[in-house]
Amino acid sequence: MRRLTLKSLWARKRRAVGASIAVIIGVAFLAATMVLGDAMTKGIDALFVEGYSGTDVEVRNSTQLSGEAFAPAAIDASIAEVVATVAGVTDVRPIAEGTAQLVDADGKGIGGNGPPTIGTTWIDFDRNPYVLTEGRAPTGPGEVVIDTGTADTGDLAVGTVTQVRTPDVHDMTIVGLAELRSGSEMGGVTFTWFDAATARELLLGDDGSVTIIDIGVADGYDVEAVRAEVSALLPPGTEALTGAELSDEALQQMEDDFLGFFKVFLLAFALIALLVATFSIANTFSIMVAQRTRESALLRAIGASRRQVLASVFVEALLIGVVASAIGLAAGVGLASGLNALMTAAGFGIPSGSMSPSVSTAVTALAVGTVVTIVAAVAPAIRAARVAPLAAMRDVAIDRSGTNWVRAACGVLLTAAGVVSLVFATEIGDAPVSVAALASLATFVGVVLLGPVVARFAAGAIGAPIAALRGTNGKLARRNATRNPRRTAGTASALMIGTAVVALFASLGSSIKHSFTELLDESFGGDLVVRHDGFSGAGLPLEIEGELAALPEVDTVVPLRDSPIIIDGDEDWVLATDMSQLLDIASVGDVNGVFRDAGVNELAVSTRWADDNDIALGSMVSVTFADGQAADLSVVATYTEANLMGDLLMSTETLDPHLSNPTNFLVMLGLADGVSLEAGREAVEAVAGPFGQPLVESSDDYLDAQAAQLDQMLGLVYGLLALAVIIALIGIANTLSLSLYERTRELGLLRAVGQSRRALRATVRWESVIIALFGTVGGLALGTFMCWGLVKAIAVSEGFGTFAPSYATLAIILGVAVVSGVLAAWRPARRASKLDVLEAIATA
Amino acid sequence: MYDTKLLAPPTPHKTEIRPPAARAVGAVKRYGSGDTAVTALDSVSVDIAAAHFTAIMGPSGSGKSTLMHCLAGLDTLTSGHIFLGDVELSKLSDRKLTRVRREQVGFVFQSFNLLPTLTALENIVLPLTLAGRKPDAAWLDSVVSTVGLGSRLKHRPSELSGGQQQRVAVARALASRPDVIFADEPTGNLDSRAGAEILSFMATAVRDFGQTVVMVTHDPAAAAHADSVLFLADGRMVDSMSTPTAARVLDHMKSLGV
Repeated sequence: MRRLTLKSLWARKRRAVGASIAVIIGVAFLAATMVLGDAMTKGIDALFVEGYSGTDVEVRNSTQLSGEAFAPAAIDASIAEVVATVAGVTDVRPIAEGTAQLVDADGKGIGGNGPPTIGTTWIDFDRNPYVLTEGRAPTGPGEVVIDTGTADTGDLAVGTVTQVRTPDVHDMTIVGLAELRSGSEMGGVTFTWFDAATARELLLGDDGSVTIIDIGVADGYDVEAVRAEVSALLPPGTEALTGAELSDEALQQMEDDFLGFFKVFLLAFALIALLVATFSIANTFSIMVAQRTRESALLRAIGASRRQVLASVFVEALLIGVVASAIGLAAGVGLASGLNALMTAAGFGIPSGSMSPSVSTAVTALAVGTVVTIVAAVAPAIRAARVAPLAAMRDVAIDRSGTNWVRAACGVLLTAAGVVSLVFATEIGDAPVSVAALASLATFVGVVLLGPVVARFAAGAIGAPIAALRGTNGKLARRNATRNPRRTAGTASALMIGTAVVALFASLGSSIKHSFTELLDESFGGDLVVRHDGFSGAGLPLEIEGELAALPEVDTVVPLRDSPIIIDGDEDWVLATDMSQLLDIASVGDVNGVFRDAGVNELAVSTRWADDNDIALGSMVSVTFADGQAADLSVVATYTEANLMGDLLMSTETLDPHLSNPTNFLVMLGLADGVSLEAGREAVEAVAGPFGQPLVESSDDYLDAQAAQLDQMLGLVYGLLALAVIIALIGIANTLSLSLYERTRELGLLRAVGQSRRALRATVRWESVIIALFGTVGGLALGTFMCWGLVKAIAVSEGFGTFAPSYATLAIILGVAVVSGVLAAWRPARRASKLDVLEAIATA
Repeated sequence: MYDTKLLAPPTPHKTEIRPPAARAVGAVKRYGSGDTAVTALDSVSVDIAAAHFTAIMGPSGSGKSTLMHCLAGLDTLTSGHIFLGDVELSKLSDRKLTRVRREQVGFVFQSFNLLPTLTALENIVLPLTLAGRKPDAAWLDSVVSTVGLGSRLKHRPSELSGGQQQRVAVARALASRPDVIFADEPTGNLDSRAGAEILSFMATAVRDFGQTVVMVTHDPAAAAHADSVLFLADGRMVDSMSTPTAARVLDHMKSLGV
């Protein structure tokens, strides 16, 4: 029996290859995401370990809040003298650190889109993990050393004079280039090193504080013991950690913040691709099994047991699964390297170690691929084993099985339940978004179950115009697309899943854009905003406020600063602004209490936040600021609209003392009466220019910039989903090939009675287009509907969001489907049209 | 150089002598090359008389099917010429051959004659639809009534018996009024009664409509329905017989040593 299986597999190489391709692509994607994740973790770990390799013990502020900007809390520099007395301490280096963004040769800021732009102190000793590759250490106020990667990116060299934003703009001469001893890439992190005095002055305002104190431990001393001793001498609010602890913590934080999200993000797409692949594989197997019905019947007739027939399909699936998964794993490693190169080129470079898969990755990829293949083969195998001996001497492949009523009932039930709960998600329970998500999933599964039930009708309806317009070819294509509903549905489902997710994201994207536009239209009453491109670079210096306010064209200047803050042990996010003017330029809904006059240590909160935290007007809220200082703030105002300004607002006077280097991430401006937008922009640009040429945008410009960022994100999503869609298209091509193979004699007959090659190709092509349209239209409808439900639920729970699908995008997706249908049919159609008429007719 | 000269016997309403509907001239078909070459047709020359029912007989491997396939433009010769009317098929491209098949030739195969997705009527008019022509309603009616399919036109092939399926195939072959209908063992899969019906339909088409029919068969009883029989053996035309009967054909086959 085993030999028979192997022989029959060999005899059907082409089909086996077809089934394998779906597995290979799915597994390749899965493996690639895991390999990439592993490599990034390894790479980042290596980077942190090396970055902290010179640090034996470090003293820092014990309050460490995550922040978008790199602005760690400061500590008193005098601690250095205290800890120097500990036995075993060889040297003590106070280091000032903060944000410093370099400006490239074209005058644009380098980085600032995620990885920190670090400004820090250059220390000339042999523990420094960074070494100079060129030039010398900085020795004066106008000198910096920068890292080699940033020098390449920004086209900067030793001797160049460039600007550094801290955020005040300083002209600096680059006197040296440095990199990690190992020469590792630093994944988009930029470094600007100053001499000790300059770093303190520019980054911390020279107020007697530093950011960290780096301590060297003599050989022969236990680092942990020294750390403990140092720790005992420290004032409250500070802590001492070893280098190993620091690199572990940094890696953990990276995993928690970005890397973990990134991995889950990639994995989600890999799973979608695998799901689509499962459909394609299942479909291929069911066709392969159907084509073997005669063979199975013969085997059964001559005495093979049902189990033996089942086993032979299993063995086949196992073989295909293992071989294809192995190829997929290998392809995945290549894909991972490619993705990494792509991300590096796109500026999202992440330091990565070797691209060889870990044992667990290899095992997971192989196991998932094999299991998916076997699972996909189970149903058709069971069907094959059910074939009664001698019941299979039919030579025509028309699905005679009636509707599977259990399946239909489940499908109708799930779809109905899903649709109803999605429509009424906002009225069910307290968590409409979760309800909507679950309802979406139910609808999705229900529709997939219903596929074969509605396929005949749906493909017929979609094929009707094609039949009407394309004459005989169209009519034959339509008949072929509806002749085997289960097969058509299986093929289309794969595409439907992919398209539904694409449509969901596309509609979500356009809804977000639309909602944001609405929000800004409603809530932002100003004329211009001033900001730097990028969200993690240097902000705008505070002096810009006064200079802008002095302009006759400008009426209102409202700065915005932000900071993490701890309330009841949880990290939250607070905005600080000019409370007295904010409402002149922006709306926060209905306001209760004294918003405009909120002063030092007073807080305004959104009604939503107040409700969630049992806070009312007049309550006291205990907070810990980023510098570790605690304060009790009194709630003096509440407001209803939190979508533009967030849940917590305070005056800049309240926040500033707790920031080591206060900066504005945005300044909003209202122009004086009678000043045109253009005139205002010109005047503002002239004043803002010296502050590092920030962007001066009208609210439309600002929206466009935000939309462009969203589009970039969506582009990435589409790119990842393209893989799932490609798998689905390969599925269509595969199904077509197999169906055509079944219909060899029909094709011969058609050619014999006078169908031309070209007409035959057209027939195959239109069949493919009908299947592709079936999947795409279903997917678009499903995806858009799910988006509608989700957005509606979000609108209720977040008070923000309007459903606004982009019909243009949906139309493009539909167009792409037609073209893809044609492409998928390319090879099968060519092969079919090249059939020898006589041989085809003679095929038994 | 003709081995055989066959003249159409006068038919009741056609008195003039028409030129042959199809001709093979020195037709050679060889498969493979060198030592393993097999000669299926060895310089066969034959005229297929118009408005005449011709049966081609011979033992397995005699080349009878190959001859028919070549005459029908389904296969190509190694050397020699095939004329359908006055068109030489060996010179035609695939596209023109397709057109010839669609417009000048009708087929009835042994089995699997019909597209399973089309109804009986749609199958009958398929060559016309492929050519983008409208069927001639009166002609279609008479064809359908001749083969006696009136009530089953809306049925799919899977809902028809084997005999009914072959009747649909004959109707399809007749529908486009081709110059020649080629039938390859059309009764091979049928019981004798259903087979006899099919044969008499084809004979009727020749007699009443002046249709030309060429049929390959190995069944003497089937051959007896034809106006004349050609005998092939080892790729050569060996004999012919006019107004055959089953007994005479059988005797003749025996005399050929089959």
